[in-house]
Amino acid sequence: MGYFSMMFLYFDPGLGAMLVQAIVAAAAGIILFSKNLMYKVKSFFGLTKPQEDGIDAMEFEQDEKQPNEEQSS
Amino acid sequence: MKSKAHRHEASFRDPSGFIFEDGGTVKRAINPIYFPVYQALCDNDFFAPLFKAKMLIPHVEEEQTPERIVLKPDQLDLMTYPYEWSFDQFKQAALLTLKLQNYALERGFSLKDASAYNVTFQKGRAIFIDTLSFDFYQKDQPWRAYKQFVMHFLSPLVLAHYHGAEVLKMMQNHIDGIPVSLVASLLPKRTKLSPTLYTNIHLLAKLEAKHNDEYKPKSRKMHLSKKALSNMIRSLYDYIDGLELKQQTEWGDYYNKTNYQPEAFIFKKQQIDHWISQRALKKVLDVGGNDGTFVRALSEDLDLAVVADIDHNAVALNYAQVKANKEDNILPLWFDVAQPSPGIGWVNQERSPILNRLSKWGPEVVLALAVIHHMTLSGNVPFEDSARFFAGLSPLLIIEFPKRKDSWVDSLLQRKREFINHFDHYHQENFESAFAQYFETLEQVEIPGSKRILYLMKTRS
Repeated sequence: MGYFSMMFLYFDPGLGAMLVQAIVAAAAGIILFSKNLMYKVKSFFGLTKPQEDGIDAMEFEQDEKQPNEEQSS
Repeated sequence: MKSKAHRHEASFRDPSGFIFEDGGTVKRAINPIYFPVYQALCDNDFFAPLFKAKMLIPHVEEEQTPERIVLKPDQLDLMTYPYEWSFDQFKQAALLTLKLQNYALERGFSLKDASAYNVTFQKGRAIFIDTLSFDFYQKDQPWRAYKQFVMHFLSPLVLAHYHGAEVLKMMQNHIDGIPVSLVASLLPKRTKLSPTLYTNIHLLAKLEAKHNDEYKPKSRKMHLSKKALSNMIRSLYDYIDGLELKQQTEWGDYYNKTNYQPEAFIFKKQQIDHWISQRALKKVLDVGGNDGTFVRALSEDLDLAVVADIDHNAVALNYAQVKANKEDNILPLWFDVAQPSPGIGWVNQERSPILNRLSKWGPEVVLALAVIHHMTLSGNVPFEDSARFFAGLSPLLIIEFPKRKDSWVDSLLQRKREFINHFDHYHQENFESAFAQYFETLEQVEIPGSKRILYLMKTRS
């Protein structure tokens, strides 16, 4: 309980900034949707380049990769 | 809590823990208030993939008691701050922060702050250093650090996109990031037509101004689905990823503009290389190092070369090469020798002056190639003062002195017009006697085909 109240003292996130996120996210949804659509149209005509460094990409060093896979299996 | 006495000056804002120094080693203490989050992060194997991907500074747990947990992180070579980064370095720091938020959200966590000071550069890449920035994700809650992200990252980057990289130095005045109302007023009107900038900057500024005086923030329930939050993060990522500096001019022409004959250039390279490899020097600070051409020409396998330059384009070109060649031992630094970044924030110590950080890092040698005439003739810094400055940085100095007859020196002198006689002190004997107060000259060579001399100097003890 005390944990969360401390977090609120830490810094002010701004009420306006909390409210605006609903609108920011809605606009982002439309942008991403139309981007995806464009991407699909372009790839249909073979006009796309492979994406190398998106938000989900995590770059692991080649030599470190193998032992990890062994560990996890 | 005796360790609190050693708490680092920058580490007081977050109640989750603090940074302290233990016999020269930087460590992180976690307070009991943060134990539940830390435990959950460990239980979910949250850290290991981030360490492997070099996105978060690796640490080992050193101590665990009911009062505190102590982590020992990998030690940083040199901490650099946002106002010392080129545009692209700044951009990489922003993208890294969004990547981490995306990673955290997928695992039921969220970044509780998004300060640009949570990121620095180590081994050639942006790395997140605040291990305690992760918190539990609260279902359907907006991102608490959103405004901070806008103020620390989006705002300076967008302003630099429209007004040039110099804007990034504004971060030196605004330790909490650039106020959104200021950004909104500085951006061109047409940015209101951009859905990303309209919502993230203009509308944010408007709503912040409107709700600034409300004292009952808890009376409003705010909902934002995780999907919507994720969309927001992804869209910000795409937008920032596509941002570029308009002023970026043609590069690669730098060394063509110098007054060197090719053989003089090669001689200079070989001489410096000889001095450095002879002594097996591993830590080099190149003041006025341009795009890093000289440190790249060294055959010695350096631990780290910090290449400082006043010209944003040079720093940007340097970082582009670091990135392209995956170099892990060159750190580009945007640095004005006549106005190094000062201590800012709480008691001027929250973010320390660059000169303190540099001397703490401790370069074994300083290169000052083709800078002394600029310092003396453009900056009007007397030789005695520049000598004291260099002596405070490192025990060894390799300095290039262009004589009065050098064409660059002549050009700088001609710009003084009727005051040209006030600069009669610029000649070799004065330079040597002033530097002799602080240094002993070990070797000196004339660079053939030029009007320049190279000195290898050692500080007097």
